[in-house]
Amino acid sequence: MKKFTTQPGIIPLGICLLMLCYFVSSPVKAAHPTTDVIDFISIISEATITGTVTDNNSTPLIGVSVYVKGTSTGTVTDLDGNYSIEVDSDQTLVFSYTGYVQQEIPVGNLTSIDVTLAEDINQLNEVIVIGYGTQKKSHLTGAVSKVTNERLDQIPVARVDDALAGQVSGINIQSTNPAAGEAPTIRVRGQGSISFNSTPLVVLDGIVVGNDADFLSSLDMNDVASVEVLKDAASSAIYGSRGANGIIMITTKEGKEGPTRFDYNGYMGMKEVPDNDYLTTVDDWLSEARSYYGDEELPDKLQYIERVGQQTDWQDVMMDGGMIQSHALSARGGTKNTNFRAALSYLNDQGVLLTDNFSKLNFRLNLNTKVNNHVKFGVNLNPSYTKQRRFPIGVHDAVRQAPWLPLYIDENNIQYLSRFTRGGQFADAQVGDYFWERMFDDYNLDNGAPDPDGSATDISSTSNTNALAKVLERERYRYQTKIYANAFVSVDLADGFFFKQTVGGDMRFTRSTTWLGVEATRNGARDSESILGTSNQLHAVSESTLNFNKDFGKHEISAVAGFAYEEWQRDFSELEAAGYDNDFIQTIPAANLVGGSTFEAEESLVSYLSRFNYAFDDKYLVSLSARWDGSSKFGPDNKFGFFPAISAGWNIGREGFLSDNTIIEDFKLRASYGITGSNAGIGEYDHIGLLSPVGTGFGLTGFNPSNIANPELRWEKLIEFNPGLDVSVLDGRFGLSFDYYIRTSEDLLLNLPIPSVTGFQSALVNRGVVENRGFELELRSRNVSSGNFSWNTTALFTHNKNTLIDFAGASGLISIIDSKRAAEWIALEGQPIASFYGYVVKEEIGLDFIKSPFFPVNGQSQDIYVKDLNGDGVIDTDDRTILGSPYPDLIWSVNNSFRLGGFDFSFMFQGSHGAEVRNISSQYIKNEFNSNQDYSSEFPDGDLVQQRIFTSDDIQNASYVALRNLNLGYTIPTNSVRGIRNLRIYLGAQNLLYFMAEGYEGFNPEGIDLTNSAERNPLTYGYQRRPAPIFRTISGGVNLSF
Amino acid sequence: MKFNNVKYIGFAILSGLLLTNCTDELDLAPLSAVGDNAYYSNTEEVESGVIAIYDGLQQVPLREFALTEMRSDNTRTKSSEGDWAQFENFQVQPTNVVVASYWPANYNVIFRANRVLENLEVVDGSLRGQFEGEAKFARALGHFNLVRAYGDIPLVDRVIAPTESDFFDRDDTDKVLSTIDADLTSAASLLPADITFGRATKGAAEALLAKVKLTTGDYSGARTLLESIINSGEYALLDNYSDVFYNEGNSEIIFAIPYVDDDANESQDFSFEFTEGGVVSGLNFATNDFIDSIDPADTRITTFFNPTAVRQEEVGKFITQSSDARLCGNDWIVLRYADVLLMYAEAIMAGNGETSNADALAAVNDIRTRVGLEPITGILTEDMLLQERRHELAFENHRLYDLIRFGKAESVLSAFAAAEGYNFAPTDLLLPIPQNEINVSNGELSQNPGY
Repeated sequence: MKKFTTQPGIIPLGICLLMLCYFVSSPVKAAHPTTDVIDFISIISEATITGTVTDNNSTPLIGVSVYVKGTSTGTVTDLDGNYSIEVDSDQTLVFSYTGYVQQEIPVGNLTSIDVTLAEDINQLNEVIVIGYGTQKKSHLTGAVSKVTNERLDQIPVARVDDALAGQVSGINIQSTNPAAGEAPTIRVRGQGSISFNSTPLVVLDGIVVGNDADFLSSLDMNDVASVEVLKDAASSAIYGSRGANGIIMITTKEGKEGPTRFDYNGYMGMKEVPDNDYLTTVDDWLSEARSYYGDEELPDKLQYIERVGQQTDWQDVMMDGGMIQSHALSARGGTKNTNFRAALSYLNDQGVLLTDNFSKLNFRLNLNTKVNNHVKFGVNLNPSYTKQRRFPIGVHDAVRQAPWLPLYIDENNIQYLSRFTRGGQFADAQVGDYFWERMFDDYNLDNGAPDPDGSATDISSTSNTNALAKVLERERYRYQTKIYANAFVSVDLADGFFFKQTVGGDMRFTRSTTWLGVEATRNGARDSESILGTSNQLHAVSESTLNFNKDFGKHEISAVAGFAYEEWQRDFSELEAAGYDNDFIQTIPAANLVGGSTFEAEESLVSYLSRFNYAFDDKYLVSLSARWDGSSKFGPDNKFGFFPAISAGWNIGREGFLSDNTIIEDFKLRASYGITGSNAGIGEYDHIGLLSPVGTGFGLTGFNPSNIANPELRWEKLIEFNPGLDVSVLDGRFGLSFDYYIRTSEDLLLNLPIPSVTGFQSALVNRGVVENRGFELELRSRNVSSGNFSWNTTALFTHNKNTLIDFAGASGLISIIDSKRAAEWIALEGQPIASFYGYVVKEEIGLDFIKSPFFPVNGQSQDIYVKDLNGDGVIDTDDRTILGSPYPDLIWSVNNSFRLGGFDFSFMFQGSHGAEVRNISSQYIKNEFNSNQDYSSEFPDGDLVQQRIFTSDDIQNASYVALRNLNLGYTIPTNSVRGIRNLRIYLGAQNLLYFMAEGYEGFNPEGIDLTNSAERNPLTYGYQRRPAPIFRTISGGVNLSF
Repeated sequence: MKFNNVKYIGFAILSGLLLTNCTDELDLAPLSAVGDNAYYSNTEEVESGVIAIYDGLQQVPLREFALTEMRSDNTRTKSSEGDWAQFENFQVQPTNVVVASYWPANYNVIFRANRVLENLEVVDGSLRGQFEGEAKFARALGHFNLVRAYGDIPLVDRVIAPTESDFFDRDDTDKVLSTIDADLTSAASLLPADITFGRATKGAAEALLAKVKLTTGDYSGARTLLESIINSGEYALLDNYSDVFYNEGNSEIIFAIPYVDDDANESQDFSFEFTEGGVVSGLNFATNDFIDSIDPADTRITTFFNPTAVRQEEVGKFITQSSDARLCGNDWIVLRYADVLLMYAEAIMAGNGETSNADALAAVNDIRTRVGLEPITGILTEDMLLQERRHELAFENHRLYDLIRFGKAESVLSAFAAAEGYNFAPTDLLLPIPQNEINVSNGELSQNPGY
């Protein structure tokens, strides 16, 4: 993979400049769509007008609303874009279609009006889905971003969240472990919690499905119509105690009136990991060694390695690439009263790692019906099944092995197999077995054979089994069945006034299996085990809302008030058996049952919610909302939380004093203030002091207090102020949105360390304050829009600064993840929540002082000279300092899309800057262990060194710039083919280019270990060794409608 | 409005009303645990707290070897990596996680004991004394572990709340030891001589109290207690040294912490970590200094080391028989009769450097003749006794505290450190107070000198 040495910021800057240059130099073109006058007939006062409505590509637009201005007379275009309407010659026709610029055409003498509608790049009249309702974008006063699924379902990724990367400002979707089916890490406006993760709440068609990314793995992108992200507290406050981490609102596609239409979207792609020079080859290493030793003979170990002559490329072995394919077939249609959409889809992602694999099967039915003029009814049903095989070990562990080690014993390399070494441990090894490093020990270079005396040359540096065995002899599967269902009935009560009752929920059944075969570890059968876990969750929701939407002249009111009840039932069980003699069957009874556990829990949430939106003359906007949440998880002293919000906006662009100007089309100032919460970090019964069963070695079971009761336990609280502005100029040709925010997270759920003389080491309390402060800038430009050529650019910039304001007296807390590699993090007030802490590297120890500088292959000294920062002549803990933080300062994306005739082309660059990562992979891959490379006795300043893992050597720049997506399509003219409405073929690519920063050594600068709870702890965030590599995908696909 | 609509509205409003009245649903009782309100209200419930003490004790030995054997001249890590190497190098940091885990493990035992002691009044008379004795024994053992490892420590003699910062500061070693003495004296008078294996007995309390008295220099007090154990007839040396470790619950064991093979909750993993296959690739490997000190005639050598291991320095006293290498069932022996016999000789020697007392010689020779060594005749010196303890009780976490109690720690360990190229200072004899405990103590807890 290429590395660049210039500042990572230069590329996006260059693109922006280019964009700007174009914008300034090109003459302003009329953005109005063209209107072709086909026919001319003399004056008739009333006539039937017919015509066709198409988009810029001459593709017929179906369902365009065509109506006579100022009347209720109207129709919609049919499947071929045709319409027919009775109209007077002095009247005006309005053509309106979501996502396109509305057009008005006076009828005059025309009898046929064909219209080409232009896409509305700023889409100010677009409808935005917000919590418990919708709102016109022009009336929006909070910070909400919308992504419409235009080509997202063609991005060759398995998960919905992966497809959203770079599409929305203010949200960081990071490929922390891009193995098949694994979730990225999602953060809306920074990390606002100390003790727990902060994944946004996912709301699917109005039903909350959880504050984890689980549902985003099973949902099919082809079913998604749009995704809205509610970013500020005022927008998310309507979700009360669950809104503080932002909301991802997903709306699925619905049926449309008309004959049934079938759509197929399918693609296939190849995934591969680009070449990376992180791992060395035996040849390169030996030539480096030769230039060091000059005329001297190479040390015995190196001579032996040279003689073995094996070159194993562990990157090729472990990152073997894979195929991804997706097939989605849907049918939609309906009558005047009932419409439906049904879809079936299958996806398989083989992942780029050796055994990882993910597949999902999805069925969806969306059905809406009008019972009569006042009553509507609808259901959404989405069962899905996913199966994931996970890569069983860390990538660092998979690729750390010596490149001279063959995978298997064969008839040639068996000559090196030492049957005597280690007390005859490998006496029975034979051709076809995995080759271990230790099997090469005790080789006599002079005799050219293994030495029975056991004192000859050793080249092993690990007692572990072959890395291939670690991967192939383990199996980790995760099977999930999910059922999402929701049904609503809506009843008109009076003019503008309706009642809506929704009942829904989701069920998740998860089964996971882990198998360690008898050859999976160096301990052989004695480490073999089989673990079977099941976890189930039932979640039911009932929501009742009264809604009111009405215009009174210039006054526009929309209000909602409601009640919601939610309930969860969770259970978990696990069985573990160990001591398998062979790999024949993995069932639990085939070995000894060594452990079993079960757990059950319930949770309930009672909510009252309301919102009142008011707009005067489309100019002055105000929104008030409030929610009361009562949760079984909160302590008895704080059973209910109150979450209010207020926001206001002023559409200056619609004021009279701006009506004459020809530049500004829209100019809106807005500001929001709100309070929302997060209850994600609270367990079902955390506020109760619990006594848990405990066992002894003599068969008796007791009960023991497992936590300290906290009757005050409550939600984390987010207070956010968010001023912003939206500008659209030159007929919507250029648009800008800007948001500035100050998010203060208070009452953070902190597992406060307490003196263990109390019998407990921590207590869950609400303490501490974190602030996230930043801005988001969105620029949208319709660079060119002519008959058959268009070019649009969107650029998003997000800056966030994370600061620990108050840490409940624990400021300066140092935390570690792994006692064997006790690299430190510090939580210091005034700094980000997690900062890497340690020593600053001064210089390398000269090779001359290392006893065996070129063994093992790819070896590097464990220690390194560090700076005496306080200048007292000794290196001690006072010389540690902050070395970086895992949070990026700036993330951005620039998306360009072009259309020329039947061709369309789009590509998105995306980048992140300012984050560091504690990349500890080198300790493994470069063998930074003293046992291999001791210093010579005349080693100078031996007291001025530290282990590399404690120093800035492992703190690496995690910035990157990626050509994240690219899509090239061609719509094949199908007028001649009967039955086919649309046929388009496309090529897609992901990460075609991926630039890592200078100084980063590894396969994935976005990678973060999140396997265990210590790694998931925000106080020790940013540790990297296990994650899957960044890969590139090239795919081809087809869209077919018939 | 049509009738139909009225029906729908009726349904809607009704369902709304039904759902509105469910705030009671917010009080949910736990399904897989017990809430602690009004618990400990009868004998059974308090006994469940007594059992919990023994569960807590299971945490104590898991990494104790690092703080005792690896900090002496007996053992080391296989490959000198990371935090684990700090012990053998005498470079222990206050942030070391093993140091940080031993402190709460013992205070948790003390907490569990105090919970029982505060709820004794509901217990039936017949069991009340036994429960009190068990709790006091455990509380004393916890404090004794702590005071030997860290020096002055907070003495906790009741359940304390996180807000009671008066309890966070360190009490003098003497005060701690006298409280331990009082707890054990009381326990010895309350506990039965025999009970389920794994629970504290009168003999266990007496043996531990004897060790405390040897530590404080009360040799006559110790001698009386040890004689009482020897004369009780409850305990005896086994013929075969290896059986002490591989025939669990034998007559030589006075107090042990039992574990079970292949049980995710009741197994230990130190047996696994003592092997090269362990997570850290080998801990508690014997030093050359230890290996060189063994008399070739000593038959214990076959038990000291794992005969099946490739590396001869792997400890052989706790080789697991489990089918899962990580879930080991070998019990941890805290007090055994051989220790009592050697303590008896030590009590008779009474700090005089040597003794020719026949009882003392007989006690030591019982141990020597069992393992093929020549009996000592004439004079038993302090060095001979220390050497015998080193071998008899090797890898049972006695060595460092024996050296300290005999006043030999500084001389022996500085010589050992010099030979190995380590840096030893007398302040290394006490562990650092865990840094995280100091950080959260409201400034009440101070660090030991030298850290």
